[in-house]
Amino acid sequence: MKIKNYLFLGLFLISTIVLAQEKEISGAVVGENGLPLIGVNIIIEGTSRGTQTDFDGNYSINANPGDILVYSFVGFGTEKRTVGAEEVINVQMTADNSLEEVVVVGYGTQSKRKVTDNIASISEDEINNIPIPSLQGALTGKAAGVQITQINGKVEGGVKMRIRGISSISSSQEPLYVIDGMPLINDDESVSQAPINPLISLNPNDIASIEILKDASSAAIYGARGTNGVVLITTKSGKSGKTKISMNTSMGWSEPTNTLDWLNAEQYVELFTEASANSYGAEDTWLTEEGGYFDWMANGLDWRNGEVDTDWQSLALVDGSVQDHTISISGGSEKTTFFLSGGYNRTEAIVRGNDLERYSVRTNVDHKASDRLNVGVNVGISKTHISRIGTDNSFSTPLQAIAQSPLSPAFLENGIPNNESTIYYNFLMQEYNGDWDSDIFRVLFNTYAEYYLMEELSFRSEFGYDNNNQTEEYFAGSLTESASTNGYADANAVQSDRYSLSNYFTYNTTFVEDYDLEVILGMSFEESARKRQFVAGTGFASDDLQTVDSASEIIDGFSTRTKYNFLSYFSRATFSLFDKYLLKASLRYDGSSRFGAENRYGWFPAASAGWIISEEDFFDNSETISLLKLRGSWGVTGNAGIGNFASLGLFTGGAYNKIATLYPSQLGNPDLKWERTDQVDIGLDFGFYNNRLSGEVDYYVKKTNDLLLNQPVPGTSGFPSITRNVGSMANRGFEFVLNTKNFTSEDFKWDTSFNLSTLDNEVTDLPGGDIVSGVNIVREGETISSFYLVEYAGVDPANGDALFYKNTLLADGSRDRTTTASYNEASRVVLGSPYPDLMMGLTNTMYFHNFDLSFTFQGEWGSSLYNSGGKFQSGNARYEDNQTVDQLDRWQQPGDITDVPQARMYSTNGQQDSSRYLEESDFIRLRNLAFGYTFPFEWTQRFSVDRLRVYFTGVNLLTFTDYSGYDPESTYDNNGNFNINVGETFYSAPPAKTYTIGLNIDI
Amino acid sequence: MKKSKVYTILLSLFVLGFTACDDNLDVEPEQDLSPEVATATPANIQNILVGMYTEARENDSYGGHIALASELLADDDHLSWNGTYVQPAEFDEKAILADNSYVRDIWMNGYEIINQANIVLANLDVFEDEDARAQVEGEAKFLRGLAYFDLVRLFSMPYEMGANGGELGVPIVLEPVLDASAIVYPARNTIEEGYSQVLNDLTDAYALLPEDNGYYASKYSAQGLLARVYLQRGDYEQARDAADDVIENSGFELVSDFSEAFNNDENSNEDILAFQVTSQDASWNAFNEFWGGYDYGGRSGDPDLSITEEHFDIYDDPNDDRAMFFYETDRGIATLKWQSQYANIPFIRLAEMYLIRAEANERLGTEVGATPLEDINTLRARANASLLDSVDLEEILMERRRELAFEGFALFDAKRLKRDIGDIPYNANNLVLPIPLREMDANEELVQNPGY
Repeated sequence: MKIKNYLFLGLFLISTIVLAQEKEISGAVVGENGLPLIGVNIIIEGTSRGTQTDFDGNYSINANPGDILVYSFVGFGTEKRTVGAEEVINVQMTADNSLEEVVVVGYGTQSKRKVTDNIASISEDEINNIPIPSLQGALTGKAAGVQITQINGKVEGGVKMRIRGISSISSSQEPLYVIDGMPLINDDESVSQAPINPLISLNPNDIASIEILKDASSAAIYGARGTNGVVLITTKSGKSGKTKISMNTSMGWSEPTNTLDWLNAEQYVELFTEASANSYGAEDTWLTEEGGYFDWMANGLDWRNGEVDTDWQSLALVDGSVQDHTISISGGSEKTTFFLSGGYNRTEAIVRGNDLERYSVRTNVDHKASDRLNVGVNVGISKTHISRIGTDNSFSTPLQAIAQSPLSPAFLENGIPNNESTIYYNFLMQEYNGDWDSDIFRVLFNTYAEYYLMEELSFRSEFGYDNNNQTEEYFAGSLTESASTNGYADANAVQSDRYSLSNYFTYNTTFVEDYDLEVILGMSFEESARKRQFVAGTGFASDDLQTVDSASEIIDGFSTRTKYNFLSYFSRATFSLFDKYLLKASLRYDGSSRFGAENRYGWFPAASAGWIISEEDFFDNSETISLLKLRGSWGVTGNAGIGNFASLGLFTGGAYNKIATLYPSQLGNPDLKWERTDQVDIGLDFGFYNNRLSGEVDYYVKKTNDLLLNQPVPGTSGFPSITRNVGSMANRGFEFVLNTKNFTSEDFKWDTSFNLSTLDNEVTDLPGGDIVSGVNIVREGETISSFYLVEYAGVDPANGDALFYKNTLLADGSRDRTTTASYNEASRVVLGSPYPDLMMGLTNTMYFHNFDLSFTFQGEWGSSLYNSGGKFQSGNARYEDNQTVDQLDRWQQPGDITDVPQARMYSTNGQQDSSRYLEESDFIRLRNLAFGYTFPFEWTQRFSVDRLRVYFTGVNLLTFTDYSGYDPESTYDNNGNFNINVGETFYSAPPAKTYTIGLNIDI
Repeated sequence: MKKSKVYTILLSLFVLGFTACDDNLDVEPEQDLSPEVATATPANIQNILVGMYTEARENDSYGGHIALASELLADDDHLSWNGTYVQPAEFDEKAILADNSYVRDIWMNGYEIINQANIVLANLDVFEDEDARAQVEGEAKFLRGLAYFDLVRLFSMPYEMGANGGELGVPIVLEPVLDASAIVYPARNTIEEGYSQVLNDLTDAYALLPEDNGYYASKYSAQGLLARVYLQRGDYEQARDAADDVIENSGFELVSDFSEAFNNDENSNEDILAFQVTSQDASWNAFNEFWGGYDYGGRSGDPDLSITEEHFDIYDDPNDDRAMFFYETDRGIATLKWQSQYANIPFIRLAEMYLIRAEANERLGTEVGATPLEDINTLRARANASLLDSVDLEEILMERRRELAFEGFALFDAKRLKRDIGDIPYNANNLVLPIPLREMDANEELVQNPGY
């Protein structure tokens, strides 16, 4: 296209050459950031005369006044300057990254202009310098139809990424992550139920771009693992030319996004004295009497005179900190390019005792061995250390301290945490007398060789190796919950590794002139193995001896091995005609050891087509419309995210009094086969006014059949569930992306990127009937995991009883809306969904002189959150747990109108699971903000510094929500790996609000 | 390098990739056996059989939760629930919700035991040795009978012989489930059908089992359990004879000191059957978890279940060892019966047989084996309590409470003796466990108990 144009221009203008006084013009060409651009083509318009910029971005050319110099460079908009009287022409070029850019697709790249699929591209600028240790966190709000939620405020916490809804009930809902062509291990290896983000060991600053393959046509090349979308991560590589050294360093602090108000000592005494009087009569003074329960809590302090008033929340949620340093060196010659980087991140969570430290190095080298042979190797190594804390459902987790009474002192007089008079185990003891560390060592290695058999035909072989080596060591000393055994320690080691081998041919040709064809054909094989060793012991001579080696008794130990393999063949053909009619088809044939022998292989075809309408004659030379492309795609993808041996009946070994036993652990189902998702996507890409206004509109329908489902079976079978292919589910949604360049003047530039997506998830067929798990239900016609609860009807003004709607189904199909105080009389009904049906992201980027500002707002609407801890936290003093202050609003005398029932200690009155603890969790959040100043190039150059930028960044600075709990995004980490039990929160820490200041230096 | 050579290498690489890897998709589990292998040999069937004891020992059922439910549901003011778990709190409040996970797991665990028994019973053909076969069959039937007995007692209305046997009991499943095709959706059988299954299994077990079988179920474990079942049914004659058989013929003896009956790492002489607990099996006992002081491995309630002053009224002699079988913790009084974290769990003690024989003899006016007074005094003498001159039914039942307190008998005794719990009638709906909500959701054939 480009070459054609220049030829045309050249032919047309050759006749208009005016011979005049030639003079030498020189100057420098720099990019937006002021850095020199190397290798920019400069030609005199209408001639074939031209030159290129050198390694410092300088050029010189002989030209006549009146000549027009045309500056062009891949990835940048073409600039033109008319030669006048001056002899120096400096040019700043602007990146043109809207439509001509190249996107990474599976097994190759494609021009974005010709892509017929729905792929979201996220560039390094959007990822780097965001002070979040997890890669996924930096992507939040950047792509339409992609929901990213960190489970809660623990630094290592798992992250859920849901691309275009939920397509599976029982198998994995996570996308496939592929780094530089190698599918990543993405297994949570946490010893506790609270997941560790498997990608925590990647340094986001090493990433050049991320492509999210959303529709089936793009993801189908990854066949059996494409249903949940595919995230392609490309790491940075060097560019030939001047060696560039970049440093980024940032430091900052963090605090919780939100805290709640809890009863102070005085309020606590008031409420519980009343609650006891309501249950046992005012004459029973067991709480307040001398030597009573309150005295016990206060442990010798005088609670009657306010001597003790512990704010447990402030002990649990503390100020955190973050520091991140990355240095990279890149460059190379024409034949060899390299990128080296080293990174260090230390993040202290806002939850006491939880922190993370990561060291990472990366080496990427590419080499052109000959005209025909390219080879390269990418190696990333990282070591991550995490100081862990208990899961949300453990007394040792800091946030459970909010349950403690404000009358209990946190520490004894001698400074040791008070565990003598707290109603629950005092989490501070864990810090004082315990330890829980996790170390992750990860190696990502991949290498390739690419050989051109002919100009059109190349063969590429890639070998990848991913090793995730994780050890966790836990120690609880003689003062902790393990007091009775005089301490407890365990050690857990997991070695996961995966190697993958891909070989494929790429044939790329242009027939005649207007027919482009690319065909790939190849195979890949992957083997993933995992080994685990665990040992636990009790009885320690000293609290200073903390490894199992010092245990007097080994109480548990095991080792396990497991493995699974994938064998795949794939092919793809893309064809374009006259640069405006685009066709693509692909086919993948996947086999996995995870499936029964009869259903081991699956076919995954896909096809898509595009029509660049704006290339048609009737749009020729349109000033307004620069791009109009209609695309449609269809494809089949699979989901293999089930257990390694899910189809087999299994007996597992155990022990009874040290005698070996066998017990049936899994019910077999030889018919188990691939879950199949058909997805159709129709989209329109547009660009107006030279792409100052551009965007995409998409509508998709994603239907999953033969759902892999852990279907509950009657317990009378001796098993709780079985994995079966039953049922269907559909996800439908609109996605809308709009990018605008609001201002593009030299001194002020302002770009806006907006995305909006809707999601309508529906379980369309469920032959076995409802699946109810906890407060969630999977029911035909409803969104998966909808909340299924008794509906709370408030308080009976006459007697303070909690009331519930009966909601019994009546003969006419309606529900009985009368209320009852008897919980067992009330029927459960579907009340809302844990998934948002509308999501939004808005990013603004501005440059004003040397200042830059960018910020991203992100919003979600339509989801609800159930607080499973509500019965304890806001349960009108049923349990002795401290209560949220709103519980003071309890019913006290006949006629009181309130939503908080009468306080009755140890007597249930409204604490049962009901909509009382269900709340909408809509929010808009200022997800991140960066404000920077780049010192003038002329000034920094004196110190041989190409770029010097200071910046401030903030994460989660503002949150707008009506949700009254800790945070609309924080969920129960024990459920982190469950698919049906979602949207639940239980003493879940809010995320951090982080402020950092940083420095970028490029030399 | 010649071009053709390069082609050859590349092509062969490629072809290799296409063909060589197929076998690699056959990956066998390394931690597990297939059902075919697991049921193929006598040794493996024996392993499955022993596994049933592990299953029964789970905290969910005989490891503590059944007894916990029984004691809390039947308690008026002898116990104080200090724990933080909601499920036992519901038992304590007599306000159980159908989604109570302890209730769910009692149910699930019971049927896991039953399915494993069914698997063993369906594969007896692998045994060539008649004795081995009989023993395995006997043990499987013993454990299946045990599981059905507690399921029917917990999940249906109090049984009154000849009166309500036709009411809903629990589903009876006798076919093994080893793969998806064997799953059935059974309706509830009647209480009477439940009991006759229990009696069939246990009488078979009695006939098949050897007199001595280590710490596994023996002939006398079956007979002891039968005595318990007959007593629950109000079949006093059979209860008396079974208890008498155990006392006279089993060789078990009361330990000389009451305290020696508990917190043992190995069975005591009076353990007709005890569940074996060791620190090595990754198991602990949930009795200790709830009834033990914090320093002894109990939960933070220290103990979660403390004993109130009112309880001590049942002891008539302050020197009775059983009246002193307690210890003080920071927050209350705990029973010594469950002090040790890794001790065995006595399940049928010989003392219970004396109590059954005494009660049945008293009710029937007979003196089979011994007089009721002799039996009661045997127990009192062992506990260093003053001997009685005479006993009546009331006194025998009181002795039963002193001897068997906190061992899980409370609810079942209350129901058979029609003893109300405070102002809650013994046959109230809320003293019957609900069919677990997950089970109601998974099986449409089931009918929920009244009141849930």
